[in-house]
Amino acid sequence: MKWHIIFAAFAAFLLMTYAEEEEAARLLVSKQLLNKYLVENMDIVIKYTVYNVGNAAALEVEITDNSFHPDHFTHVSGELNARIDRVPPYTNVSHIVVVRPRKFGYFNFTSAEVLYRHKEDAGSLQFAASSEPGEAIIVSFRDYDKQFSSHVIDWAAFAVMTLPSLAIPFALWYSSKSKYEKLLKPTRKH
Amino acid sequence: MMNRFIIFSILIICGVSEIFAETCQKPEVIASAYVTEDATILTNVAFTTQFVLKCSNGVKGITLYAEVDGKSLPAARLSSDNKYQVSWTEDVKKARSGDYNIKLYDDERYAAIRKALRNGEDPNSVKPLVVVVLNNPGIYRGPWINSELLAVLLAALVSYSAFSSKFKLLA
Repeated sequence: MKWHIIFAAFAAFLLMTYAEEEEAARLLVSKQLLNKYLVENMDIVIKYTVYNVGNAAALEVEITDNSFHPDHFTHVSGELNARIDRVPPYTNVSHIVVVRPRKFGYFNFTSAEVLYRHKEDAGSLQFAASSEPGEAIIVSFRDYDKQFSSHVIDWAAFAVMTLPSLAIPFALWYSSKSKYEKLLKPTRKH
Repeated sequence: MMNRFIIFSILIICGVSEIFAETCQKPEVIASAYVTEDATILTNVAFTTQFVLKCSNGVKGITLYAEVDGKSLPAARLSSDNKYQVSWTEDVKKARSGDYNIKLYDDERYAAIRKALRNGEDPNSVKPLVVVVLNNPGIYRGPWINSELLAVLLAALVSYSAFSSKFKLLA
């Protein structure tokens, strides 16, 4: 029984050393939305992070995201197709794109595609898909504004509306006060 | 809209002394940048800059590395010729306003920096190929005082002055 365990451990060790000897890049790609809320016509920040967990540098890493159709999104900054020449082993690099949704409602954020060369002399390109942020709701700007705007105009309107009920009595009182003070002044002199 | 594209004037620092076929001579950069200034709905502020690199000797497709505030970033190559993008994010609370200097290095200079770091020398001794300046005018995180609070304060002030003058008259 003991021999079995020792043998298995030895086999595992051999496998590990073999795996270590095989030098190749392995990429994990994440796609994140860095927003608290998704709002129509406001910035959405998308961050693509490429982690190289392999033991060789990944070359010609090309990130392509076709999930933002121009009918649904305006492109603000950052390009949806980018190439990073080299991702060294055990490091990560990121790429950022800013878009604005044109419409509100549910939207399914799907994955981006990544093509890379996992070895210096690799004949074919390796394909990888990023994580999917999934379905999210894009709030209409009207609803967002209703909830989060500072409502300065609303309160200013309120102030204007309450002004007559405050100003008219004050004006009446002030006019009578100044009238009586005028009458009082000559009597004091005597 | 508060957000807009800003075209930047470019600082060119070129320390071209060696003559190599692959190095970019007299680099010139035309850059545009975007900062998500309205951070009310964001968790991180995004800084992106895109630029076209022009070399007097017509070198194309070189690998560029960027360094911003001590962070090293690779410059991503974009679809069109000699166009690059450098982008990063910062936490909304930590993002500072003002100018960010994006120092760009080519392969050779970047290797020199890493060598300097390994040997414990000052990496600033290596001159960057080009410096692109990105200006962050300041990030909007929402109003600093609630309008509701302001309205309550104003109402309290008005009623206080009214009541105090009334009691003064009656006394």
